[in-house]
Amino acid sequence: MPKKRVGALEKVDADLPNLQYKIRRDPKSYSEDFLNQYGQYKSQRDIFMASPSTATSAGIVSFRDLIDFVAHVADCFPEDTAEFPEDLKSILTSYHAELESELREKIVGSLVLLRRKEIIDSANLLNTLFPILVATPSKTLRSLLFSKILSDLRTSNSKSTNHRLNRTMQTALFNLLSSDKTSQKGIWAVKITRELWKRQIWTDAKAVEIMKEASLADNEKVIGGGVRFFLGGDKEREELDDESSDEEIVDIGKLKHQHGINKKTKKKTKTLERAVEKVKKHEKKKKAPHPLNFSALHLLHDPQGFAEQLFSKHLQNTKSKLNLDQKLLVLQLVSRLIGLHKLTVISLYSYFIKYLTPRQPSVTSFLASLAQATHSLVPPDALEPLVQKIANEFVSEASASEVASAGLNAIREICVRQPLAMNDTLLQDLVMYRKSKDKGTMMAAKGLLSLYREVGADMLKKRDRGKTATMGLKSGSIKDRRFGEEEAGGIEGLELLEEWKENERKRKRVERGLPEEVGSDEEEDDEQDWDAWDVESDASSDSGGWINVESDGEIEISDSEDDKPAVKKAKTQASKSEAEAKDSNEKTELEKEEQKISKLATTKILTPADLAKLQELRLEASLSKAMGGNKVQTARQKELLARHADDALTAEQIEGFSKLRKSTKEERVALAREGKGDRSEHKSTQALRRDKKDSEGKSSTNKEKSRKKNFMMTLGKAKFKQKRSLVQTKRVLQGHVERSKRGGKRGNIGM
Amino acid sequence: MGSSARKKKEKKKDFQKVKLKVGKTKAKPDNFTDTSFKAKSIVVNQQSLSTSAPTSSAQFEHYLSLASSSRSDTQRRDALAYLTSRLSSRPVNEPLPLPTSILLPKLAPLILDGTASVRTQLLKFLRLLPSSDIGDRAEAMLLYIRAGMTHLAVDIRTDALSVMEWMLEVAPEDVVACPGGWVKTLKCFMSMMGWALSIGTTKWTAATKVSFGKAGKTFPRQLMVLAQFLRAGLVEPHALPPTASRQALFPLTDVNIHMIPTSSNAYAHLNLFGTPRDEEGEMYVDREGRQRVFNKLFQTAVEKGIENAKKEAGEPGRAGAVLAKVLKDGMGDFNGVDDTL
Repeated sequence: MPKKRVGALEKVDADLPNLQYKIRRDPKSYSEDFLNQYGQYKSQRDIFMASPSTATSAGIVSFRDLIDFVAHVADCFPEDTAEFPEDLKSILTSYHAELESELREKIVGSLVLLRRKEIIDSANLLNTLFPILVATPSKTLRSLLFSKILSDLRTSNSKSTNHRLNRTMQTALFNLLSSDKTSQKGIWAVKITRELWKRQIWTDAKAVEIMKEASLADNEKVIGGGVRFFLGGDKEREELDDESSDEEIVDIGKLKHQHGINKKTKKKTKTLERAVEKVKKHEKKKKAPHPLNFSALHLLHDPQGFAEQLFSKHLQNTKSKLNLDQKLLVLQLVSRLIGLHKLTVISLYSYFIKYLTPRQPSVTSFLASLAQATHSLVPPDALEPLVQKIANEFVSEASASEVASAGLNAIREICVRQPLAMNDTLLQDLVMYRKSKDKGTMMAAKGLLSLYREVGADMLKKRDRGKTATMGLKSGSIKDRRFGEEEAGGIEGLELLEEWKENERKRKRVERGLPEEVGSDEEEDDEQDWDAWDVESDASSDSGGWINVESDGEIEISDSEDDKPAVKKAKTQASKSEAEAKDSNEKTELEKEEQKISKLATTKILTPADLAKLQELRLEASLSKAMGGNKVQTARQKELLARHADDALTAEQIEGFSKLRKSTKEERVALAREGKGDRSEHKSTQALRRDKKDSEGKSSTNKEKSRKKNFMMTLGKAKFKQKRSLVQTKRVLQGHVERSKRGGKRGNIGM
Repeated sequence: MGSSARKKKEKKKDFQKVKLKVGKTKAKPDNFTDTSFKAKSIVVNQQSLSTSAPTSSAQFEHYLSLASSSRSDTQRRDALAYLTSRLSSRPVNEPLPLPTSILLPKLAPLILDGTASVRTQLLKFLRLLPSSDIGDRAEAMLLYIRAGMTHLAVDIRTDALSVMEWMLEVAPEDVVACPGGWVKTLKCFMSMMGWALSIGTTKWTAATKVSFGKAGKTFPRQLMVLAQFLRAGLVEPHALPPTASRQALFPLTDVNIHMIPTSSNAYAHLNLFGTPRDEEGEMYVDREGRQRVFNKLFQTAVEKGIENAKKEAGEPGRAGAVLAKVLKDGMGDFNGVDDTL
């Protein structure tokens, strides 16, 4: 008798994975087995439904395994398993609290699996999971659901934005927040929205609207979440974007080479293919246009109403339950909104009054918020008492130096935004602190002084005004600004860019041996410009890092040259003609207006590279202007100038040099060590430098060579000193005298 | 040399006598191994200690819980054996130590037990239960029986069939009339014997029993149980009251219809309070309803299956003939008019 063939399933009882594998390979042949198992699933489900809390799946085939099995092969038998997803959903929705955790997780996982197999759609899945996320008391289930919901939203938005799904989800979140303002459940809406915002999946106004609703909720956690989103959500998004963009990139050439040499296997071929795909994807991503994302603060629908509501609900309201930190956050947001959108919330300024004392905890944050809330359209009457109070409370000889410098910095930041908030007696008083012995106070006072030299030199004492300001006042080019006056004009620094482009073009033409004048081949140049579309391209490789500072800081010196910006020339011309006659003045004024608005922006499209260059030039110009004759620039000055008007003001910036809290020793040591590189063993700087050069494979200097030379070989040269001629001796002595004057070999330039 | 002095010192250190100090614990030797450990829970082998022997009812309960929830299969089997012996050895009129309503839900999951000896022992135990109590629990029992009948393991399927047989012997009316008892169970039979058709299948003739079931031995048995089941559901019990007696008791004709029902939850088929049922889960209380559903859903498949079974001859053929006879008895008077739709 021949040996009986034994089926695999008969050998091993209850081998669901095996059956699953077979079904996946050949669904039709195994449909009967599947139906049996599906029947088994149904009867187990009935058992479970009869008593959900007590049903244990202790048998050799548990309910859990069956669910898993059916979910995995459901796509092979769509008609038979039509009710399966509904079953799972109803089980999960009605019994999620009493289900045992493993079964619960399995059901959630199976639903997600069914979604991946596109048996159910995303909206269906999310509509099931989200209510449970909000309702369940179990922490593990919550975190599981949260991650599943997020990943599902991400996948369904990965190829193209799924607007419908996003809209339904956003509506659900919004309803969750608006239905019950006091409940803590809204935190999930905040979390989901923030995460999706961070990943740039939701970038529209609706998401911002959700967060706005959250900020106006009654629960502290929800409020905190919403407010934090507005304050930090965009930064987080940028950071993530940067992170993802500088992933490590594989060297494809190396891989291909290795593949050519090593043994060829399927696996290795596959890895190579995958690597190539990855690189291609990366390239594509790099080439893709940068998504134009507006910040959350800009997408707000009604900022004025929002700011007013926030202020009246959380800050002015005495019954508000927020603690100081949370209040500060809200205050930051309100002031940020006011500063950014130039809103008018007059009662906010009087609210500040009682917090402006040095004893107030985290007063620098209050000061920063106040400065942030100031803009050119705030009536000076509202600000003047505040400035006065800061000056009285903070800036005095008796107060600690940190306090004084914080106060001065705060006043400066307020006055940058609204120069009219200052009166001349107070200003002259404050400016006197520039003689202070404390560095922080001194710097702060100097900052204030330099600010008013620009914006209101006539308020300063005559001797404080400085050369440029005095000359400007005399010639009339500096006029005092009225309240509400706006400067007309186009893009700041555009004329600089135009000039730079002109120079570049000339340079290129000279390189090619052509005359400097622009010929008919202008088109060609433009094409090159388009090649240099990207910021990273060679044309603007010097855009990052160092900024060229003209060795002669006075920009006026080069005024005589003819490739100066047309604007300046026009200005000076205008000032001359002003002295001559009044009617001609009118005419030149018109001319000035015409010339001022450069043609560049209206005739050409600016590439990202152009914009980067523009920013760089703008910074450079403002730096050289601010420094005047002084060549030394500080990082602080640079940072001050580079700061965008939209950026938030932080308490650290108010604290300035002298921090109110003392730094710990570790911090100081770290600060001192910063930038010195790690010094593993004790060696002289020279030796370290030598080692570095050796490791780079560079050669030694002649001096080093001579030092290493055999002593006996140098004897002959040493004798030369005696044989020197008079001229040679003189040269040596002169050199010595010069060196000592200079202060050493390298000179003491910096001091 | 310094190093040699140091080495000497190190060598000497190995043999130095450790000084004992008053008030200090004795120094641990070098080769001391820390054998202490921490545990989150303590497991006590003997859970309770008492001087008096447990009462017989307490012991019964103990073994019942062992049988239903012990991890070890021998323990389960032995506990079941104990329970069986307790039931069989009790005096004739003495009631059960625990009512059936407690025993059955606890032991029903054992139908799906992985160990064969436990299942056979369970069947022995079930046969000892008073038959009058079973009918009310038929629905709960059927849940497990159906799960057993479609189980992946062949042995469990066969044993579930035996339990089914026993149920049909004890409470045939309740088995076919309880919610889901008719359609769902029939579906189970269909899929078990490979007569079910997938909704989505094409006209392919799938090779029956590719891997499911040892057709040779169990198939006739399945046929027999199905025949029994159909007989319970379709064939009218022929104990019709003679018409003469009706006239004798003239004013009291059909009196038992108007009396208070004897069964519990007599109006269950109206499903006044439960969740709405679908066709599968519906109760089919009367014979006509069962016939109608059977005709609608299963008859063709069963007839086809019988044809094939008859062709096989031998034991399956004989069983097929029995089934065919039952089918003829049950469906003979069905008029075939579907008046429900």
